[in-house]
Amino acid sequence: MATRSVSPGGALLRSSRLFSLPAPLPPPSNPHANTRWNSDTMTTPYPTHQVITTVSTSRKNGDWGLKRPLPLRSTTKSTVAMLRVKAIDTMDQITDYSSGADHGITLLKFQELGLPIVTRDANAAKERANLHTPDAPQKSVFEDDIDFTAIGDMKERAELIDKRWKFQGPWLAGMQNGEFQKYIEKQVRPRRAQFRMFLRQKLAEEMNADAKAKAMDAGDEEPNPIRPKDISEEQLTNYLRRLRESNSTLFQMVSQFLDLAPLKPPNVVVDNLDRQGVKVDVSSNPYAENGPPRTHPSAGLSYLRTKNYIDNHPIYGPQEQIKPVVARLVKPRRQMGGIETPKFGIAGIISDVPLGDVRSNQKFSGSKNQISVDNLEVEVPGGPKMWVLPNRANIDSEGKILLKATLPKLEVELVAKELIGEGEGIFGKEREADTVKSSEPALARRQYSKPAFSSAKGYGVR
Amino acid sequence: MACKQWLPAALRQSGLLTSPAAASPLASTSRLFTTTPPSFQSDNSSSSSSSSSSSSSPIYNRTSQSQSSSQSTSSSGTPRIMNRNPLDTLRTILSSSAPANAYGANSPEDIASISQGNGAGGLTKQTLGDMKKLHTTEAYLRHAPRRWRFGDVYAPKDLSPTEQKKFKRVSAPKEDMVDMLGFNPIDNYKNFTMISEFMTPFGRIKHSKETGLRPVNQRKMAKAIRRAIGLGIHPSVHRHPEILMAKKFNTTN
Repeated sequence: MATRSVSPGGALLRSSRLFSLPAPLPPPSNPHANTRWNSDTMTTPYPTHQVITTVSTSRKNGDWGLKRPLPLRSTTKSTVAMLRVKAIDTMDQITDYSSGADHGITLLKFQELGLPIVTRDANAAKERANLHTPDAPQKSVFEDDIDFTAIGDMKERAELIDKRWKFQGPWLAGMQNGEFQKYIEKQVRPRRAQFRMFLRQKLAEEMNADAKAKAMDAGDEEPNPIRPKDISEEQLTNYLRRLRESNSTLFQMVSQFLDLAPLKPPNVVVDNLDRQGVKVDVSSNPYAENGPPRTHPSAGLSYLRTKNYIDNHPIYGPQEQIKPVVARLVKPRRQMGGIETPKFGIAGIISDVPLGDVRSNQKFSGSKNQISVDNLEVEVPGGPKMWVLPNRANIDSEGKILLKATLPKLEVELVAKELIGEGEGIFGKEREADTVKSSEPALARRQYSKPAFSSAKGYGVR
Repeated sequence: MACKQWLPAALRQSGLLTSPAAASPLASTSRLFTTTPPSFQSDNSSSSSSSSSSSSSPIYNRTSQSQSSSQSTSSSGTPRIMNRNPLDTLRTILSSSAPANAYGANSPEDIASISQGNGAGGLTKQTLGDMKKLHTTEAYLRHAPRRWRFGDVYAPKDLSPTEQKKFKRVSAPKEDMVDMLGFNPIDNYKNFTMISEFMTPFGRIKHSKETGLRPVNQRKMAKAIRRAIGLGIHPSVHRHPEILMAKKFNTTN
């Protein structure tokens, strides 16, 4: 085999951390950036830097495969070996690193949910199936007909507009006015001449098709095709006037030229126009309504295609629903200006837990399985939690993970509790694990040993 | 803060602050105290009726009328703990050592109705428990001011006091808002909500380190403010009256 031998130095470089660290992603737009309350150090909605890890023996020596060993004091205390390297070397001859456990663990937790990343259903809104509908059809982002990036010329790009997720131009509906003005000035205006040429081509195609159809009707020979160059300025001006008459055709031309991400007006608008007899071309691209994703629509979070699998329990056999998980009540329902919905965290992600006429929202139902979403229950060690069934996950155009959950059936919840040694089991049997419960007071003591505020009474401790 | 806003109304409705005789129109609608915020209809009924009778009167008249009407209702009843801070009131109620009189019940019948827990607007055990829980929740959430949005990722450090404290501090916006929205402040000198946003309540133009505008836009904004004040369409010493109105009657959203 005639493989080119690589020099020892080259081989070392190729297998080094230096070359395996990708360039950081552009930072997410901070939603708090334009408010007066923000934090620079909060966990971002998506990671921008690669998280690296090392084996425990190397970690003890500070060896992370980087240019120099890292300080042991700050890298060996954490349970998980996860670091994020911002710069391998700086002017001060130090390696700039910080803990990468936040996103690293979030990824692990997400994978534990066993959820595929799905697209927003293009027709869901049309059928009035809103986001809270748990049974809306789910289509994996890895389906062949919507997941490809190998696209040829402009014509092919235009044909595949309803199938793609990657576009050269921006998604206009997601732009602020200032951003839009800058885009027009910097990117669009310099391409005026190019656009006129593009229109000439379109006009030539149109005229050729017309002439051909006429010749066929008359039984004549096919006329010589008109080249874009042959079109006079006057013809082009007339064509422009015609285009201005029909907005939607002009928009199609512009979006084809700039390769804009498809837009979908809100349903209310479409319905109203429909009632008035105005035809609107509604894009069926799954990303038209809420914007195309920043990266691959799966964001590398999950490579599953479907969640239609069956969990098998060692004793009870195949389960009807997949394994439920515990959701943490991060913030109870508040009244600030309007009503702020209670916020639940699933796998470290603030998620949409169903509200309305469901168990979690019934205040006086008296069931011991439910928690109050109106108040913090400080007596519960670790904070109140609720069993939920993660149902649907997708990534929005800002890179955020939108996770939706429903409530599991009570039996499913019971089985899940039993698996981790909580609860009494389905048949009311006493568990041997009950002896472990003696650790609970210790936990409570640890929780409240350091009162955070002046009076313990104010915090419901005593 | 939210508690402070609707607590007085809640207390009044549950018959804590007014005697049954004085608060007969309110207490007649005996509703169980819940943690969902009450609608302000019963609270504002006096002011709205007075405003409807003199709908053409200027704002200051209207507010003075509503104030006088609320004063009259409180003065007609026996002197209560009305004048105190509502949170103090709540604390008094919640402390187990407080005498029965702290409930605002003077007559033995009142006390009896409270202990039975079934009078018009009487305090049930559940109500007290609810209020105690609410108080605790408010106390904790004062230290966790971050407003979470769907899709936010949190690690344990985001729930820590150090991180939560950062959302308490007011800092300048990180981006230039004028650039972001792409408008010219000078053209918007008549937009008093914008003008008020960039002025202090005492009428001074805010510094760029507070507004977060870049120098060019800060100058434009300052010019718009000076222009609005110079034209006499915006007060130079306090907020715009329409904003004060909206705040007073909570019609901002």
